[in-house]
Amino acid sequence: MSKTEANANRHNVQGNHACALAAIAAGCRFYAGYPITPSSEVAERMSLELPKVGGVFIQMEDEIASMGAVLGASMGGLKAMTATSGPGFSLKQEHIGYGILAETPSVVINVMRGGPSTGMPTRPSQGDVMQARWGTHGDHTAIVLAPASVAEVYTETVRAFNLAEQLRSPVIVLFDEIIGHLVETIQLPAPESLQLIERKWADAPKEGYLPYAAGDDMIPPMPRPGDGYRSHTTGLTHDESGFPTQDPAKAEAMLARLINKVERHRDVVDAADMMATEDADILVVAYGTPARAARRAVKEAREQGIKLGLFRPITLWPFPERAFLAAAKSAKRIIVAEMNAGQLLLEIERIAGRERVSPLLRFDGEHIAPDEILDAVGKAA
Amino acid sequence: MTPESTNANNNDRRHEIRFAGSGGQGLQLSAKILAYALIGEGLYASQSQSYEPTSRGGLSRADLVIGPDEPDFPLATAADFILLLDQVAANDGAKIIKPGGTIITDQRLVPSPPSGDFRLLALPITDTAIAIGNPRIANVVALGVLNALAALASREALEAAVGALTPAKFRELNLEALKAGYGMAEAETAESAA
Amino acid sequence: MTDAKQQTPFDVLQYLRQELMPHFLCPGCGHGIALRALLWAVHELGIEKDNLAIVSGIGCAGRTGAYIDANTFHTTHGRPLAFATGLKLARPDLEVIVITGDGDCLAIGGNHLIHAARRNLDITCLMLNNEVYGMTGGQVSPTTSEDRYTTTTPLGNTEAVFDACKLAEGAGATFVGREVTVQTPTLKNLILGGIAHDGFAFIEVISDCTEIYGRKNDLGSSAEMILSQKSAMRPETFENNIIDRPFRPNALPTGVLAHDKTRPEYGAAYRASIKAQQTKK
Repeated sequence: MSKTEANANRHNVQGNHACALAAIAAGCRFYAGYPITPSSEVAERMSLELPKVGGVFIQMEDEIASMGAVLGASMGGLKAMTATSGPGFSLKQEHIGYGILAETPSVVINVMRGGPSTGMPTRPSQGDVMQARWGTHGDHTAIVLAPASVAEVYTETVRAFNLAEQLRSPVIVLFDEIIGHLVETIQLPAPESLQLIERKWADAPKEGYLPYAAGDDMIPPMPRPGDGYRSHTTGLTHDESGFPTQDPAKAEAMLARLINKVERHRDVVDAADMMATEDADILVVAYGTPARAARRAVKEAREQGIKLGLFRPITLWPFPERAFLAAAKSAKRIIVAEMNAGQLLLEIERIAGRERVSPLLRFDGEHIAPDEILDAVGKAA
Repeated sequence: MTPESTNANNNDRRHEIRFAGSGGQGLQLSAKILAYALIGEGLYASQSQSYEPTSRGGLSRADLVIGPDEPDFPLATAADFILLLDQVAANDGAKIIKPGGTIITDQRLVPSPPSGDFRLLALPITDTAIAIGNPRIANVVALGVLNALAALASREALEAAVGALTPAKFRELNLEALKAGYGMAEAETAESAA
Repeated sequence: MTDAKQQTPFDVLQYLRQELMPHFLCPGCGHGIALRALLWAVHELGIEKDNLAIVSGIGCAGRTGAYIDANTFHTTHGRPLAFATGLKLARPDLEVIVITGDGDCLAIGGNHLIHAARRNLDITCLMLNNEVYGMTGGQVSPTTSEDRYTTTTPLGNTEAVFDACKLAEGAGATFVGREVTVQTPTLKNLILGGIAHDGFAFIEVISDCTEIYGRKNDLGSSAEMILSQKSAMRPETFENNIIDRPFRPNALPTGVLAHDKTRPEYGAAYRASIKAQQTKK
């Protein structure tokens, strides 16, 4: 392959644009959104790209309506997405819960900025880690992915659609403002090289059809309107028939299945990246931009003879606990570096024990630099 | 790294470049052109910029972190080269210069250049742009100077990038600006060698 | 629409999920009549149940959707129009009808109503107005008449009443109408007109909540309530028009109140603009 050929598919792409391009490649054909910094470039790019593939873009009247329209389009059979940032993410939470309960595939992008409230719209943050996990009310699972580069925004957005389709659930992709606005050189994959998953459509006999009856995989096939199933979809707790129930046994069975279906598929949901963890005395846990700082810090520390490793969850929720425990085996000290006042920190403390864990937190609208991690490592060593 | 080093392609060290000035000077475009040219060199660039509430007049900067693979950390921390095109950027913009790095300033627009442990080149960038015919192409003159000194992308790749990313009606003017920038850098190198 | 269908006599049971009976509505509730009128219109238009999508919100009106033997989507409070917008854009082949209530549509969902009206997507929005939040126990709504008592207006309502039809028309709805439930065939015809209209149709059904609102305000039995509706709204149909306890103190106009066939339907216009762009290239 000549140099020109090798470079032909390489492009300098902004993180938010990579997200839009990946969505199109993953088969997304519906986007509804509302302008909000620092995510608006996702919507702008989708408004340009969707018409080219026969899809639909709509700017709705507000954040709530955007998520409602996404669920409506998905119920109609299209792969659908929205993008937002902190305040808008708060507004979408009720509908994210609806999507979880009614099992409506959808992808929600949250380009994180400082908060609470309007906060610092143009400054990076990782303040929505817990909102992504627990933002909607009630007991539920959350599938949350956290890419750390523009290239990974692309691959994780594709994966988000695949997981949404396979597991019939909303999937959230979280990245900070830096990654959203960063322009990086990426290799755009050939569309045919992508492995895409489509939801299972119902094809059972119509007589006595139960729309929420699931097989061993715990994921019921979805009835497509117009196919003759004439089923009922509701945000009320329902049984296999899809109609509301207050029967304790049926209510428990439904919620248990929703939680267990994600657990059952942890092999495709979990994702994490390990760097120099085998013999690490000190382990940094970081995701998003701080993980990039940690990558450099690990290399520089190793040059200085410090046994530093990095555990980088790519799936934040459910937290890839098994991979983390393996990575943390030899670590005497674990440093959690994140751009918030300590959110994933709580999960790491839960798993590893508080005495082993030190926080390295920034919530001033500035990033965490490699030197700050090295300083923290120096103090911990 | 020294300004005389060969293409970044040939070693695996990263390079960090900062373009700083005021909004509207076209520095984001300069960074974009260079990053575009680097694709042809098989390199990876991470480009970040300052986001200010104002679109025009305020501090504007674009940073490039360049490497043979995806840079570990995508933000600039120790710049090998800094291009300063406006006094407004002189203080904050120069802070991250690497010891022994190079700061290129515009003679006219940066009357009080920073000083420190770095090489300072104060050049008539804007004056040259005016002489060619338009002060607004100073960003491309500056890009020519920078790439000639830093040897990041080949001259052909940079010319192709200018052609691809600037409006057709200004293409000739921009290529002339690039050429003038190269000329200025070559004269400077010859002078320092003499 | 087929002639054969039109000739078949309308049997409401054919359009209901009979396995869900008995339904949850209180005796005397006007919503059942509205539902019957809707299904009657669907029948006369020859719409296949498989292609019918009912999108409803939360409240007594929202719960009625589940009884229809079609593709039914019981969504969130105030947002059925948002869901319906996504569904209709994704599936222009479906007949999308929204069932909502006065609280659902005008209070929590007011923003979606005005923008759906402005956009003019081909959705029929049926707002069942009973002047009260019935499901939550009878609180004041944006259409509660002045001085009426509710569980949150113990001293009588002092807020102004929304005229939903004027609101929808002002926001750009291209088909607007209002009817009382007791005029069931007229209501059916109005709904039929709204569904047949190619654009956003807003239909307000003057329903009644006898059990909670009527009782609290001493408005009489269900029969008395719906007769007083009729006498208030259509005084010309009553010879001796003496109403001592009008259902609504202020009569509102009924029938087709706006019908604009000139504005393009949003979905078709969007698809046409894409096609035009593609042919340009």
